Amino acid sequence: MRVTLLKVLSILLITNVMSQAAFAHDPIFGQGPHVLFKDGFEVATELHSSKKGDELENEIGLEVKYGITGDWAMGVELPFEIKADDGNSSSGLGDAAIFTKYRFWRKDTLALQESAAISLKIISDTGYENETPSLGTGTTDSVVGLSYGYESRNWYRWASVRHRQNETNSAGLQRGDKTLVDFVVGIRPTLTKYIEPDMVYLLELNGELGDRAALNGNTVSNSGGDEWFISPGFMWTLKNFAVRGGIQLPIVSNLSGSQEKSDYRAKLSFEWHM
Amino acid sequence: MSKKVVISIFSAMLFMSSMQSSFAAAGTNYTIRVDGLACPFCAYGIEKKFKKMDGISNIQVDLDKGLVSVDAKEGLELKEDKLKKLFHDSGFTYRSMKITPIK
Repeated sequence: MRVTLLKVLSILLITNVMSQAAFAHDPIFGQGPHVLFKDGFEVATELHSSKKGDELENEIGLEVKYGITGDWAMGVELPFEIKADDGNSSSGLGDAAIFTKYRFWRKDTLALQESAAISLKIISDTGYENETPSLGTGTTDSVVGLSYGYESRNWYRWASVRHRQNETNSAGLQRGDKTLVDFVVGIRPTLTKYIEPDMVYLLELNGELGDRAALNGNTVSNSGGDEWFISPGFMWTLKNFAVRGGIQLPIVSNLSGSQEKSDYRAKLSFEWHM
Repeated sequence: MSKKVVISIFSAMLFMSSMQSSFAAAGTNYTIRVDGLACPFCAYGIEKKFKKMDGISNIQVDLDKGLVSVDAKEGLELKEDKLKKLFHDSGFTYRSMKITPIK
């Protein structure tokens, strides 16, 4: 298959803002160690929007999670993409994913929980890559992660690292692998009782360190590089319902070659525990 | 002693005995110390698990004190190993419990 430059750029510019599954009381853009209670279900609807130069990407996603044990959960993601770039637009199913998270360490004390978890996500190639802009990567990729969290009545802190390994598509294009690092603090300014609306404010520092892409073994010069974001966010909950949202604002862009810098990314999700 | 007095005393004793029985039939309150309870959203799993159990009512959660309180109907006993598993499956840690008859 002949790959046009526009197609390559279109695939490279996929931001995959849904690269992390949403677990309530975890960061908005980073990852935390929270799972789900045994035999519980979580259903979440997520809205994502990102802008990078002339490229605008919106996504509506549905996530369903299940608590296998009190420390292990798994789930699926189904994203619907709406994209526009350089006068072209496309919409349809994006790359569906399955994921799992296992909390291997937990230290519980009075009104406080510290924990750590590992995670794995497999992102399929269900998105139609031949659209312009492309709706999928045409590859099955994986993301492994390690996260730590501290949760008390007033204060939160998280740290995580994830690595995304990208495969090569049928046209010989391999998007550069990416490492994501996140540091997050949060505060609950007002202590609430169990069945009362509850609000936590978050501030994240998100780093994305990307390798260069390769096309048929040749490095794509306008690819790869690092970006850092500062991301304010919130979590509002009432019993078994949560609303979470945040916005990523770039503070450092060190991208290789000639690439559009990120303007912003925003996320809003609605989650129910059942 | 006249028959009327004997019958009155006997009736009073029967009445007092039945009142005692009705107090004993009210059930038992379990107040459980739990660690790891920091957020209300996360505590929902505890309530859901207790609601699945027959004979459990009046579920209360105090996040600041790490206390979960439930009332169990008469004849229902919550054993410690079962509670440990319930809280572990909810993502928390059981520490201790206090049992109080409900009057």
